[in-house]
Amino acid sequence: MSTNEEKPPFLGSWRRIYAGLALYLAAVIALFTWFTWSWNR
Amino acid sequence: MRPLDWIVLGGSLAGIALYGVWRSRGSRTTQQYLLADRQMPWYAMALSIMATQASAITFISTTGQSYADGMRFVQMYLGLPLAMILISAFAVPRFHGAGVFTAYEYLEQRFDAKTRALAGLIFLLSRGLAVGVALSAPAVVLTVILGWPSQWTTLVMGALVVAYTASGGIAAVTWTEFVQMLVMTAGVLAALLTVIFLLPAEVGLPQALSLAGAAGKLNAAVWRFDPSDQYNIWSGLIGGMFLALSYFGCDQSQVQRYLTGRSVAQSRLGLLFNGVAKIPMQFFILFTGAMVFVFYVYTQPPVVFHPQAMRALERQPQFAQLNQEYGRVFEQRRAAAQRLDLAAFRQAQARLDEVRARALSQAGKAMGQERVNDTNYVFLWFVVHHIPAGVVGLIMAAIFAAAMSTISAEINSLATVSMVDVYRRFFRRDERDSHYLSASRWLTVFWGAYAIVTALYAQNLGSLVEAVNRLGSLFYGTLLGVFVLAFFFPRVRGTAAFLSMIAGEAAVFAVWHFTGLAFLWLNAIGCVAVVLSGCLLSLRPRGTA
Repeated sequence: MSTNEEKPPFLGSWRRIYAGLALYLAAVIALFTWFTWSWNR
Repeated sequence: MRPLDWIVLGGSLAGIALYGVWRSRGSRTTQQYLLADRQMPWYAMALSIMATQASAITFISTTGQSYADGMRFVQMYLGLPLAMILISAFAVPRFHGAGVFTAYEYLEQRFDAKTRALAGLIFLLSRGLAVGVALSAPAVVLTVILGWPSQWTTLVMGALVVAYTASGGIAAVTWTEFVQMLVMTAGVLAALLTVIFLLPAEVGLPQALSLAGAAGKLNAAVWRFDPSDQYNIWSGLIGGMFLALSYFGCDQSQVQRYLTGRSVAQSRLGLLFNGVAKIPMQFFILFTGAMVFVFYVYTQPPVVFHPQAMRALERQPQFAQLNQEYGRVFEQRRAAAQRLDLAAFRQAQARLDEVRARALSQAGKAMGQERVNDTNYVFLWFVVHHIPAGVVGLIMAAIFAAAMSTISAEINSLATVSMVDVYRRFFRRDERDSHYLSASRWLTVFWGAYAIVTALYAQNLGSLVEAVNRLGSLFYGTLLGVFVLAFFFPRVRGTAAFLSMIAGEAAVFAVWHFTGLAFLWLNAIGCVAVVLSGCLLSLRPRGTA
């Protein structure tokens, strides 16, 4: 079994991947807000 | 269902079961049977995790929920990416490093045997109650809509699942779930494209979105905070995160998925993929429900979608007048939609909602209930009455796949906990591996048979089924709390952890019983109560805690 230190296959480090996922979530919330605002009028 | 649908459905079910048996051939050790020799690639784990989550009733009722209440349910999944980050960072390396078969085994390494036993017992109790319901709920809905005998639906689904799960163990479960998730995705896309295609030629997507939005069906983001409201941004982010942390971090049916990873990195990738893909998946399922709503703006649906409730309503003396009023308001709404007069459309929609509420109430009274809820029947009604041959079979295959994936994961994890945390820990500690392998297979058969029997019985329990489902959700926060203590509070010892679980459970039941708080918050309350109790009990002088 590999160790905890094994690097991810992209972005270089797990911290960057977690930050990317958090940014993705922020983008999803922004998109949902725009979607709701655009059509619920 | 037409012959082509039967071919698609039968071919899918048989193909999935055979594929699972084939992929898992040669499980000759307990490690292979329960953990797939820790050789699973991330993409198999990723789709398997998603498939375990998606039960048939979620698949059926989510679309109906969107039809009735809009897309706000999607916010429940907003906490999922955050939970995936936390579990990947803190839980995955610890579980992998400990080399455990179950999450609760880790608790004995960290605390003691009684804490492990209590956590295992809570899992067996809550999942054991839920597994029969997971099998019976889709059978009941399919029976009502399609007229299939529910006993046969339950038996066929249950027997297929038990056959490949008992035969191949976790590898069979994971690889069948991999295919089942692909079938589910194909089913969702087919349903969405078909409903858009079935809209009248003059109705384009912008017009469909305007109508759905005007009726409040596209409310994917609700920023207003209300603790009694289940679905808004805040409950989704905070409550949803705690729910996902509890489910993915402490529930063996999910933990076992990423314990099979060939490395920490592979397990993390599987979980993080779920954090990325789950929200769009739910969005499209809910969007399908919103488009079904638009379809029924132009095609008159029955006033009540539940066939039995509709028959009961038709026998009422006031039905003719109610149905006439429903038809009249439907025509007003359709005319407003055609003119794209959104103010008039909203007014007609409000009147139509009011007529439908009266109809559901009257149908409920006729059936001896306070009110009938027909959201579970909207999507299947649409599928059966409007979708072309072949596509119906694919959507039915997706619903069966969703049911089977959840059940196989549940009976597999129940068997694993029964074998590892109960049988091997407390009854037969020093047997040969072949003995434990055989015990695992028999326990899988036992839990499968138990699921089938409780499913057959649960069909007669009505509203108790819902109560059992809710009851299961009362335990998650406590389990999460004890794992938080294990990971982050090194001063807390076994007895304090054990007592804090009992205190946490008492707090959850008290809040649930005495307040109207939305149930998503109970996970957070249980977790915080366990952590606070554990810390307070550990403040005592050494030897008394």
